Amino acid sequence: MLEKIKFTLNSRRGRKNIIFSFLAMLIAVIFLFPIYWLLMMSFKPDIEIFAKVLTYYPHEFTIQPWLENLQNQEFLCSLRNSFMIATTSMLLSIIFGVPAAYGMGRYKVSGRKIILLTFLVTQMLPPSLMLTPMYLIFNNLGLLGTYLAPAIAISSGAVPFIVIILRPYFKSIPRSLDDAARIDGCNLFQSFFRIMIPAIKTGIIVVVVISFLSGWNDLAYSMTFNVKAEMRPLTANIYKFQSKYGTRWNAIMAYGAILVIPVILVFVFLQKYIVGGLTAGAVKE
Amino acid sequence: MKIAAKKFEGYIFALPGFIYTVVVLGYPLIYNLILSFKDLNIRNLRSGNAVLVGLANYKQLFTDSTFQLILRNTFIFTIGSLVFQFTIGFILALFFSKKFKLAGPIRGLLLIAYMMPIAVTAMLGKNIFGVSEGLINDLLLKMGFISEPVQWLVSTSTALIAVIAVNCWIGIPFNMLILTSGLTNIPQRVYDSAAVDGANAWQRFYHITLPLMRPAIMAVLMLGFIYTFKAFDLMFIMTRGGPLNSTDVLGTYAYKLSFTKYQFSMGAATGMVLFCCLLVIGLFYLRLIAGEED
Repeated sequence: MLEKIKFTLNSRRGRKNIIFSFLAMLIAVIFLFPIYWLLMMSFKPDIEIFAKVLTYYPHEFTIQPWLENLQNQEFLCSLRNSFMIATTSMLLSIIFGVPAAYGMGRYKVSGRKIILLTFLVTQMLPPSLMLTPMYLIFNNLGLLGTYLAPAIAISSGAVPFIVIILRPYFKSIPRSLDDAARIDGCNLFQSFFRIMIPAIKTGIIVVVVISFLSGWNDLAYSMTFNVKAEMRPLTANIYKFQSKYGTRWNAIMAYGAILVIPVILVFVFLQKYIVGGLTAGAVKE
Repeated sequence: MKIAAKKFEGYIFALPGFIYTVVVLGYPLIYNLILSFKDLNIRNLRSGNAVLVGLANYKQLFTDSTFQLILRNTFIFTIGSLVFQFTIGFILALFFSKKFKLAGPIRGLLLIAYMMPIAVTAMLGKNIFGVSEGLINDLLLKMGFISEPVQWLVSTSTALIAVIAVNCWIGIPFNMLILTSGLTNIPQRVYDSAAVDGANAWQRFYHITLPLMRPAIMAVLMLGFIYTFKAFDLMFIMTRGGPLNSTDVLGTYAYKLSFTKYQFSMGAATGMVLFCCLLVIGLFYLRLIAGEED
């Protein structure tokens, strides 16, 4: 072991490795400091928050701001709404997106190029453009104030996104695999569900997670289509809680931290897949 | 016969998703276009008898001084964000494309900033740029750059700067990610042969890295433009477009017209202006990547 360290320190490559890794950690600390700040603020007691001198870590540690949120009925209700909206939009996105990615990836569908370009254009449509027409349409359909309204709107962007991300995955499956499945007596849908989907498991995980997060992170649609505050998710109620708590930054930060937890969890477990998925989607196809 | 059947199978899978997208996105888009030529507002929303007014909404928008300010803000916000997030993103990409143990994990870790709900990031930004409780003012005071706290989000001259800063924080990881993948695609032997020919580091960067990175650079700039130009969540939580419209952009302004003033047709017209600007850049982006489609 000691020999190994000695070798590392002496070799030029080893030194470079250590210096670069140290620099990288420094960059990460500086860049991610705001997230540290979010967490630290959420563990400070009121007195410390209102003190004249800014503290860079909680001198007196408390979990009161977290408890305050988790015991608050309105907060729990918003949390449930966040889950409902994210799950509903995820289901819609997957149901329409995954088969479309398969159809466009494995078959010579005519107009494929046009459809793909159309799907890419949809990624440029901002929520703020879709809000007004969708609000009026949902109003006529009686969908305002339901989870379905924001879910439909969110999934409208997620379905094309799934096709763009997942199509290359489907294309990469060897042709012989579905031929074999069909010869073995699987019908069209059996081979899709039993052979194709399991074959691209990592791709499926990426799109499930990203489409859940896009619902979880949504603000514009949920806020506008759910006129009543009790139907709104955490993102949309941030503003309300902010004004309600006044300058109670610790409670607000705990609120934010709880909202970030799913994102962090996704990162810890799925980082490498997500990174691959995002790069695949942005530059090529 | 068999080929025809195969093609038919493809449509079974592809069509539902395509129809869904067309109905859920295409219909509202056309509806929005028609709406922008009408005069729908809170008074005639119930009765539904909003008359066609042609280009009157657009005329009203472009002669309004507030709208001109909004357009200016949108471009300053977009260009300002692009310049900084691209430059810093590129520097980080160059650094993280070097081969060392922690390169991959830490590069991935930085993506958390990009994946965070913007509502939370905006709230955090509001705190960090606060006058007395803010981290930025505290750091600047301690380092002696300023002698008294700056009213970042309260003053019309600094609010947009604060919003751009937060937006760069969100955008840097994405720029870095795309540029790194571009960098790692450049074969090492190109650099090796240039080194043999005696090219120094700067020459290698200028004559090899930059030209070979052109597609990735163009893609990241155009995508960055598209994502930044349509900003909404960040301003909505951080400043509500204030103070005095100084951080209002097309996205927030369209929302305000429709949902606080209930001038739906004006909101729709603003949305169309936003859409047209995005479409111009979007078409360039499509041309860029269309060559890479099979």
